[in-house]
Amino acid sequence: MSELVVRGLEKSFGSVRVLDELDLVVPAGQLAAVLGPSGCGKTTLLRVIAGFESADRGTVVLHGVQVAGPGVHVPPERRRVGVVPQEGALFPHLTVAGNVGFGLTRAERRAGRIGELLDLVGLGGFGHRMPYELSGGQQQRIALARALAPEPALVLLDEPFNALDTGLRAAVREDVRSALRAAGATAVLVTHDQEEALSMADLVAVMWGGRIAQAAPPDQLYAAPADLEVATFVGDAVVFDAVATAAGADSPLGPLQLNDAAARGPGRVMVRPEQVVLADTDAKGVVLGTVVATAFYGHDALVRLAVAVPGGAVPVSARCQGMPPGLEVGRSVGLRVVGPVTFFPAA
Amino acid sequence: MRSPRLPGAMTMAVFVLAAAACSGNAAGDEPEEDAVDESKLVVYSGRQESLVQPVVDDFAAETGIEVSVRYGNTAQLAAQIIEEGDRTKADVYFSQDGGALGALTKEGMLAALPADVLDLVDPRYRADDGTWIGTSARARVIVYDPDQLTEAEVPDSVFELTEPQWKGKVGISPSNASFEAFVTAMRVLYGEDKAREWLEGMAANDVQLFDNNVLILNAAEDGVIALGLINHYYWYEQVAEEGLEAVPARLKFLPGGDPGSLVNVAGVGVLAASDRQDEAASFVEYLLSEDAQTYFAQDTKEYPLIEGIPTAEGLPPLASLQTPEIDLSDLDTLEATLEMIEEAGLT
Amino acid sequence: MAAPAEWRTEVTTTGGRSSRPPALLAVPALIAAAVAVLPLVYLVVRSFDSGVGEFVAVLWRERTLRLTVRSVGLAAVVTFACLVLGVFLAWLTTRTTLPGRRAWAVVAALPLAIPSYVAAYAWVAAFPRIPPFWGSVLVLTLCCYPYVMLPVAGTLHRTDPALEEVARSLGRNQLATFLTVTLRQVRPAAAVGGLLVALYVLSDFGAVAILRFDVFTRVIYTSYRSSFDGTAAAALGLVLVVITMTVVWAESRSRGRAAQSRIGSGAPRARRPVVLGPGGVALGLLGAAIVAALALGFPLGSLGYWLAQGRSADLDPGALAGAAVSTISVSALGAVLTTALAIPVGIMAARYRSRRVRALEQASYAGHALPGIVVGLSLVFFGVRFAYPIYQRTPLLVLAYAVLFLPAAIGAVRASVAQSPPVLEEVARSLGRSPARVLRDVTLPLAGPGVAAGAALVFLTCMKELPATLMLRPTGLETLATELWAETEVGAYAAAAPYASLLVLLAAVPTFLLGPRRRSGTLDSSEGGS
Repeated sequence: MSELVVRGLEKSFGSVRVLDELDLVVPAGQLAAVLGPSGCGKTTLLRVIAGFESADRGTVVLHGVQVAGPGVHVPPERRRVGVVPQEGALFPHLTVAGNVGFGLTRAERRAGRIGELLDLVGLGGFGHRMPYELSGGQQQRIALARALAPEPALVLLDEPFNALDTGLRAAVREDVRSALRAAGATAVLVTHDQEEALSMADLVAVMWGGRIAQAAPPDQLYAAPADLEVATFVGDAVVFDAVATAAGADSPLGPLQLNDAAARGPGRVMVRPEQVVLADTDAKGVVLGTVVATAFYGHDALVRLAVAVPGGAVPVSARCQGMPPGLEVGRSVGLRVVGPVTFFPAA
Repeated sequence: MRSPRLPGAMTMAVFVLAAAACSGNAAGDEPEEDAVDESKLVVYSGRQESLVQPVVDDFAAETGIEVSVRYGNTAQLAAQIIEEGDRTKADVYFSQDGGALGALTKEGMLAALPADVLDLVDPRYRADDGTWIGTSARARVIVYDPDQLTEAEVPDSVFELTEPQWKGKVGISPSNASFEAFVTAMRVLYGEDKAREWLEGMAANDVQLFDNNVLILNAAEDGVIALGLINHYYWYEQVAEEGLEAVPARLKFLPGGDPGSLVNVAGVGVLAASDRQDEAASFVEYLLSEDAQTYFAQDTKEYPLIEGIPTAEGLPPLASLQTPEIDLSDLDTLEATLEMIEEAGLT
Repeated sequence: MAAPAEWRTEVTTTGGRSSRPPALLAVPALIAAAVAVLPLVYLVVRSFDSGVGEFVAVLWRERTLRLTVRSVGLAAVVTFACLVLGVFLAWLTTRTTLPGRRAWAVVAALPLAIPSYVAAYAWVAAFPRIPPFWGSVLVLTLCCYPYVMLPVAGTLHRTDPALEEVARSLGRNQLATFLTVTLRQVRPAAAVGGLLVALYVLSDFGAVAILRFDVFTRVIYTSYRSSFDGTAAAALGLVLVVITMTVVWAESRSRGRAAQSRIGSGAPRARRPVVLGPGGVALGLLGAAIVAALALGFPLGSLGYWLAQGRSADLDPGALAGAAVSTISVSALGAVLTTALAIPVGIMAARYRSRRVRALEQASYAGHALPGIVVGLSLVFFGVRFAYPIYQRTPLLVLAYAVLFLPAAIGAVRASVAQSPPVLEEVARSLGRSPARVLRDVTLPLAGPGVAAGAALVFLTCMKELPATLMLRPTGLETLATELWAETEVGAYAAAAPYASLLVLLAAVPTFLLGPRRRSGTLDSSEGGS
């Protein structure tokens, strides 16, 4: 059963349409990431689901109950939706325990639910502290515990890791992910960080222009984006013209194997940089490219190349393990594409 | 956000406690006052507490009639009574000057006093229709600095003060009610043009302006001005308090019915809406009793208005003053006076 | 790159969440506004009592125009002087290495405790020839500059030093940074402070009367004195209301739309104060000392002198104590009622920026520049007709205080609510709290200190209030201000001195609480980002 079903949602502020016939379905127990650039309306989507904002049109069904729709607007306090805002937004006048227990009945508080939740987010024994005595990451975990405490039908997380520094971010993400799993919660995470979306979510919904462009499991989304825009938004992509034939695609990078063997005719192909393998210039089946720039990331490196074609050059990126030696700018290298690639026929 | 909230919280607590304590207190006072108001004679007094309260206490002791006095500014109390209309709480209005009483008469708010009370006072010092009666009188005088002038050098008429030798040497208090009454008298006695001419002449002669009579008196003592126009009792009070040798300034009572020797009164009236006419009348009568009149004469150095009461030491008898012949009820055109004073630039 | 904080941006640019405030707030706020416009209703009723003709005649008098100009001129000069002095002292006591700056901050706030009429008396008694206009400017500036200093100091404490550091790193020197960055940041705070000063000056009667500077309020008083009926005075009062609303409108325009609830995860960094050289220290100390001497030392010295002189002062300690107790009682009740009425309006003003809400908030300023006598008479009018049982009882007096001082309290509530991010309230809603309980459990506790500071300010102002108190107090109840007035009316400075001294002393307590606290939201109406 789907925990959250959003249909045809529309919302405008003045003349600006922020949500435009938006559809989204999140199955029970799953973490969905809504991924989009800033200003795409994703925060508004969360606020409409939470009930802080009412939609102009469309419906929101939570746990089988319609909470927003024509003539229906269930107030936020009756929706059973937990919210984890940016930067936590803990109540500064309450202790950690007071924050976590805020949504609980007295009986629940007595029954030790606060302790359970603190344990769940790995902060057992912090109950008596004040929010300002916690680090940013700890504040985020308490905010999650607070949201989970009343066992909500749905948890909404609004860019919750933004304020954390990179090192901490990965760890807190992991903690949050496992806490959500342990609680069996259905959750929607809003983020503009594709790495965050891909690594945490069961389902990634790419959003822009007020609608969901594609919603799919992360691996599928990455490997088989619905269109070029999604392809280039999610992950790095090398895109160039090609012609699909029965034998694969004919392209400046040589013949390519296609995901969709039935594709025919002119179009564009999308290659992931990790599919581009560097080799010696005299290796078999390579095309030649010139190194334009290199960027070293520690665990890997990105090499930018130009492949000469008649009348210009196709920019290509290759992701390499470590930093291959001797790749100074201007040098000529051989390259080839490994594995099937995605083809988008010309319109 | 982070620093302790204690001070604020404490402030809050202090207020709540204070308010609680006080409202308890006020609630405690309130019924008592309620009871009081119904059973007491209510006097609105434009004359000050330190002067009136001893008389009121004596009256209560003598008659057993309890009195509650509301002290305020003469004009404001008159405006308040008019605003209150028939539901006024006042039974008696005790005024600093005849003008405010005249205004209440005009509004039909004062009841006629019993004839035997009216007969106590010279008709010059009461309303023609018997709605108010003077209780004490004060004379306009010139106060001068004997280091600069002899008594003979002090002019015999205020009209001389516009002459060049007095340039910058004279003090007046144009916003003072007594000064305004004096100007009104000048208008009534000598006509609008003459009064305007005098005011403009004073302004052109660089007359010094003060907020009240005491400041004029002090300025004459300090030699800041050579002479000033005040009411007689300010000087006598100061002499009584500090001794003659400590008060360098001297007074001159002007001869020949000059407007500068106008005698005006403080007076009292009974509200028509009062259901305590008898008690109110007996209060008025008491103000004209030997005890009260002696008290006014000795304490405030004003002139008593009934026969046979000695004036304060050093004070020339009322009958000896060469005051202008004027009906005090004619001094009810204050508005025109104010406009004239202002147009002369004396504000 | 981190995305801009969208949650925040949307809230401020779209003008709030569900744009309609709940009845829970709207109904009490409407009641508060209704209370605040009572004098206005009265003025309209009275103005047209004797027909439109007379109303127009009063307004067309030449002196009406002249006095309008004088009033506005005085208000403008005093406001400007207060802005300069207030911002300077705020900066000096918060951002520099001035020795003893905490103590100076307390001292600089204390003139708020001195009634302007007492200060005016002190100056006139000492310098009888003080020129009316500049005397009024001097006295009112010295009494009013804390209205600017307190909110500006509060803002300077809070604002992020990073902005100033950036400006310095971009090549601006200290002065240029102060002028271009720091002043910008304190502008809303200074604007609200300036508004309170301007309205105070417009409504002040005591000080200008003593200093003999003829302004609008004085015409209103004299027209009561001369005709004893309210028509002309009411028409003039309406003019004052129009001036007030113009000033309020101008201030709200100047305040801009900055939102400033900071949801930072870290406390703002400690800032490095501006290091004053020996010359700077000397100048700073000299400046602070001169202001303190003129604003505080001089009136207190005069009071001390009169106290010592007091041969006429056969002081009755019972009367003094009684007046003190009743002053504290009615002022505390006034503060509580005013704050209670201000809370719904302030919250709405902070959270729902619709045109209607703004109108509601501005309506509460209607009576603020009216002289006490007009407000007093309007409540006499209503009290006698509709609330006779409480006429000349404490409740009606307390209500008058609410009418007079509502704006200051609303400003404080709005500022402190605006400072706590709305997201906290939304989280509370999502955790199952109804709007009423969110108010109780989140909004009010967070705004508490600022609200309390507002209450302290109202308490302080009620203690000094005179004309409405005279008119509406229960018969027989004397406050320190009425006793003080009674004595000074007859020129008995020595007898007045104990009351004045005790009044200043008592008023110093809430002033002290308002003063140098790091977190006092005080007059931070400023921050209200409207």
